Amino acid sequence: MTERLPLRRPAQGRGIGGVCAGLAAHLGLPVAVVRLVMAALVLLGGFGAVLYVWLWVTVPAGDPTAAAAEQRPAALSRLAPRLRDPDRRVPLTDIGVGLLLLVAAGLAVAVRSGVRIEYSWVVPTLILLGGTALAWSQLDAVQRGRFLAHAGGRTPVSVVRLLAGTVLAGLGVFLLVGQDEPFDVLVRSAVAALAVLVGAAIVLAPWWLRLVRELGDERAARARESERADIAAHLHDSVLQTLALIRARSDEPEQVARLARAQERELREWLYDDRTTPGTSLAAELRGVVAEVEDHRGAAIETVVVGDRVPDAGTEALLQATREALVNAVVHGRPPVSLYLEAGADRVEVFVRDHGDGFELADVPADRFGVRESIVGRIRRRGGTATVQSRPGRGTEVHLCLPTSEGEQR
Amino acid sequence: MSPQAPVDVVLVDDHLMFRTGVRASLDDTVNVVGEADDVDTAITLVRSLQPPVVVLDVHLPGGMGGGGAEVITACADLLATTRFLALSVSDAAEDVVAVIRAGARGYVTKAISGPDLSDAVRRVAGGDAVFSPRLAGFVLDAFGAAAGDVATGDDELDRLSAREREVMRLIARGYSYREVATELFISIKTVETHVSAVLRKLQLSSRHELTRWAAARRLL
Repeated sequence: MTERLPLRRPAQGRGIGGVCAGLAAHLGLPVAVVRLVMAALVLLGGFGAVLYVWLWVTVPAGDPTAAAAEQRPAALSRLAPRLRDPDRRVPLTDIGVGLLLLVAAGLAVAVRSGVRIEYSWVVPTLILLGGTALAWSQLDAVQRGRFLAHAGGRTPVSVVRLLAGTVLAGLGVFLLVGQDEPFDVLVRSAVAALAVLVGAAIVLAPWWLRLVRELGDERAARARESERADIAAHLHDSVLQTLALIRARSDEPEQVARLARAQERELREWLYDDRTTPGTSLAAELRGVVAEVEDHRGAAIETVVVGDRVPDAGTEALLQATREALVNAVVHGRPPVSLYLEAGADRVEVFVRDHGDGFELADVPADRFGVRESIVGRIRRRGGTATVQSRPGRGTEVHLCLPTSEGEQR
Repeated sequence: MSPQAPVDVVLVDDHLMFRTGVRASLDDTVNVVGEADDVDTAITLVRSLQPPVVVLDVHLPGGMGGGGAEVITACADLLATTRFLALSVSDAAEDVVAVIRAGARGYVTKAISGPDLSDAVRRVAGGDAVFSPRLAGFVLDAFGAAAGDVATGDDELDRLSAREREVMRLIARGYSYREVATELFISIKTVETHVSAVLRKLQLSSRHELTRWAAARRLL
């Protein structure tokens, strides 16, 4: 299997920040090669250093194999969570260092230009930025998620709206602050402020990204936790109860088989089927009919469904007829009983087959209502066909075919 | 292969209880020569024994989490002599498609009876494909056969031919190969040819439903 491990900075085997080790695991290359290339890039005008720092800041720490395991489909993962080190920690130190560097840079610029006004510009900007970042990080998860979903820039319109809003707000602030200043001073200070803002944004962006990502991780973990609780509750309510019942009735094989079958079907539905809204799936309604017959008659029915459609009055009649055919097969025929439903574009077909001795439709007495009325009659009234094929040694097969309303209009 | 000689089989399943059950239910035409309970031991065992048939569960612990499909992929070079029959409780389409696309010659559910399983093992050992009704249903669904999407040429990989569709429908209706042959007035050999052709399409087709399922299990 050639699958690529996600990009993570592993704790083991890291040189400085684990960037090269992580890259090597991600690209499937030897660590030495990656380190060599990175060193060469550093010599190449320091590009490597910038890249390294950027990756250090943006790539989350963690074990790549564990991260790959987490992305596995749920069906393959263990239900119970493994004990593992809490690898999620608030990067308080990183943020602190970043802010300090920012302040230092600002002060250096101010001292070098020797203008006192610079202090009164840079310091409030920093305070403003800090305050904004703080305010943003204080927003609770749901709210921020919703805001990002709206303003996140998925559509051109939202990007334009965000940009226009920012420009307007900036203009407003400048007009407010520089009421008595001449125009060129205003423009110059606007450019200066913009430069500071851009610089600050570049510096703060990685931390901001990390903040957002950790939020996503946390939300995913919470969703997993609640799903786990859901599964545990379900297992308790159904499976454990049934097992207790089975143990209590272990001397009644019929009952045990029935309980086991019903539980298996329920669990299967719960694990593998998409839960459909009632009244939207013929396949789901058919499964309901099969479940009813299986439970009442204590027999297994091998069901195969191909295609699906929205149920209507016609398919309702078809389901009723199918139920009759299934009961007939279970009671009069011999197992295995097979049911096949195919919902095509212009018709729905049902086959019910058993391996009994078979019977002739003509031989069925006129007073036996079962086959004649509830199966054949029901389908014919809806404009469909119903045939019963019965051959000695090869069982009986009931074939129901019903044109759909779309098919009739053609 | 003479019909008298029992077929050697390696059994791979992570539940001891189930392996014991299968061992007991198989008749004497099948001889269990080894058992494994996870991906890694299965690969080692199959590589060392090289049995004609491996019966394996779709969901297995160990390895890289790929389950039965991973075992088959790891033994891909043996596929000419060692055939894989997948056995699963799962009804999920992606499980079925995953093992078949990895190279399994058949897929049966764990509800299968002992004689039927022995029969399936012999069939797989003889180079045939084994389709359960449910697998036939998946094929019809995935190839859009119910919607009337039927191939006109023989070399089309993404659609079934009219005859293949007929065969699949009969299998989905619970017909055995013999009964399908009688119903369509063709020989069992022809039925087996059709089924093998469908299996090949299932393994090679690039129909988006199939690739989607495979992608869900990250097999591509």
